[in-house]
Amino acid sequence: MSEPAKGRSSRWSYATAPDLDRTLVQRLECFPRQPDMLVYGFRCVAAVLLRGWLKVYHRLTFRGLEHLPRDPQQSFVLVANHQSHLDAPALLAALPMRRLHQVFPAAARDYFFTELPRMVFAAVVVNALPFSRDVAGAQSLRACRALLRRPGNVLILFPEGTRSRDGAMGAFQPGIGMVVAGTEVPVVPCRIEGAHRAWPKGAWWPRPRKLTVCFGAPLSFAARGRGKEAAFAISAELEAAVRECQ
Amino acid sequence: MNWRAALDSPVFVGFALSLGGLLAVAGLVLLALRAAGRDPGHAWQSYRGWLRMVPLFLGAVFLGRVAWIVFVAGVSLLGMKEFARGTGLYRDWWMTGAAYFGVVAVALVAAVQDPILDRPGWLGMFLALPAYVVASIFVVPILRDRCAGMLQAMALACIGFLYIGWMFGHLAFLANSPHAYGYLLYLVVAVEANDIAAYLTGKAFGRRKLRPTISPNKTLGGALGACAVSMALPFACRAALPHFTAPQLLLTGLIVGIGGQLGDLSISVIKRDLGVKDLGALIPGHGGVLDRIDSLIFVAPLFFHATHWFVGIYPAA
Repeated sequence: MSEPAKGRSSRWSYATAPDLDRTLVQRLECFPRQPDMLVYGFRCVAAVLLRGWLKVYHRLTFRGLEHLPRDPQQSFVLVANHQSHLDAPALLAALPMRRLHQVFPAAARDYFFTELPRMVFAAVVVNALPFSRDVAGAQSLRACRALLRRPGNVLILFPEGTRSRDGAMGAFQPGIGMVVAGTEVPVVPCRIEGAHRAWPKGAWWPRPRKLTVCFGAPLSFAARGRGKEAAFAISAELEAAVRECQ
Repeated sequence: MNWRAALDSPVFVGFALSLGGLLAVAGLVLLALRAAGRDPGHAWQSYRGWLRMVPLFLGAVFLGRVAWIVFVAGVSLLGMKEFARGTGLYRDWWMTGAAYFGVVAVALVAAVQDPILDRPGWLGMFLALPAYVVASIFVVPILRDRCAGMLQAMALACIGFLYIGWMFGHLAFLANSPHAYGYLLYLVVAVEANDIAAYLTGKAFGRRKLRPTISPNKTLGGALGACAVSMALPFACRAALPHFTAPQLLLTGLIVGIGGQLGDLSISVIKRDLGVKDLGALIPGHGGVLDRIDSLIFVAPLFFHATHWFVGIYPAA
């Protein structure tokens, strides 16, 4: 009998799930989340239902879809104004179903990840990235950058940081600038219209108003430095780009 | 097996009342320890786990044959998920899916009517199932035209199915026996009693370590004590095991006593090799599903086939 080839035995390696010692609920809280057949299944079903609902009840239409990067390996950022809870599902509906589990809308940790029903909705249905709006914000920005370094991920950011009260767009926070400064990642500006009339902050159920999502040409900030001023400048540029989307 | 039969069965009512009584007594003891100023610590957590598991188990047996088979399949699926996440198999959805398919197939074969002999549960197919499922697992890389890492994935899927799906699935098939109440209640209670006896006698008399590399907490004293308790238990539960002669009862006790320890150690081998403490966090105070059913997985098929040999799963009236 011949000797086994050297190093062969080391090929067997067990990549144990890093969140093995956590309960189901604790697993939803952490990020990045491990793939889970059941969660993916629910998300697919929910996505089909949500897309149907948005198309029929809100007559959702898209403009400028050609601006979205086509290459499935290309990571990019979608930056939009924020008026209601319909925004993230509407943007998700613009992307093909096969990318569903790689699209991560950033959602406020203090709002979406503190109560169980909201957390299940955010983590399972929307596939949200828990974003801290407090002192831990820097950590969340790092998570966003890490996400974009891997191929094929889409990050959805609402740089206003909160839903608009009156439908008018607020100023963009500089966080988005810190995420994309000095990276090749394209940033696609989008403007969502009608979401405020459909489901304003504080209303308990959406009304059947028309929704439109307009996408603008992608921008790149590869040549920018990573300082504070550059971040503010990038945020201001993106704010203007979102306003200009037709 | 249905809820009416459960209420009419002295075995079911007897076991249910004894288990309820045991839980109540254990709760009172723990409360007394607390009142006396001693911290029951881990025992309290573990007790809270039992408070959830015992009603679930009795409820599934009470509701009848199909409910029990569904319950066992659910536990198997949860166990398989833990195994897949622990070994990293969960990243390969095709292979994990094939193993899940095997678990569902076990439940289906246990639930349907035998097409030839016209009795509940298709025993022939149940015993032949490993061949079909292992074949399906081997077909997966062929369908995907993949080689890299496939030997490991196939091996893990086969072990997962054979161990957690099929061996544990014998517990589901036992529901088809006319003596299902006796077999199921005795088996599950005896295996868990064996675990608890090993823990308690180990604490009292355990000095020499049983297998220091695999499980440093287990002692020879604990294993022998558990064996003694397990060999006495079938005689105490004679009503649950009708038609068993005295040597057969003794052998049944041995199967539980030795098999229970081996099952515990087998999961420990897997956990040690993976470098994890528990395979999940589903049951507070106990860890994951596999950490709880480890002994049952090992004992269920041994008990099943011993019983089939002694009196037959379907005894002639």
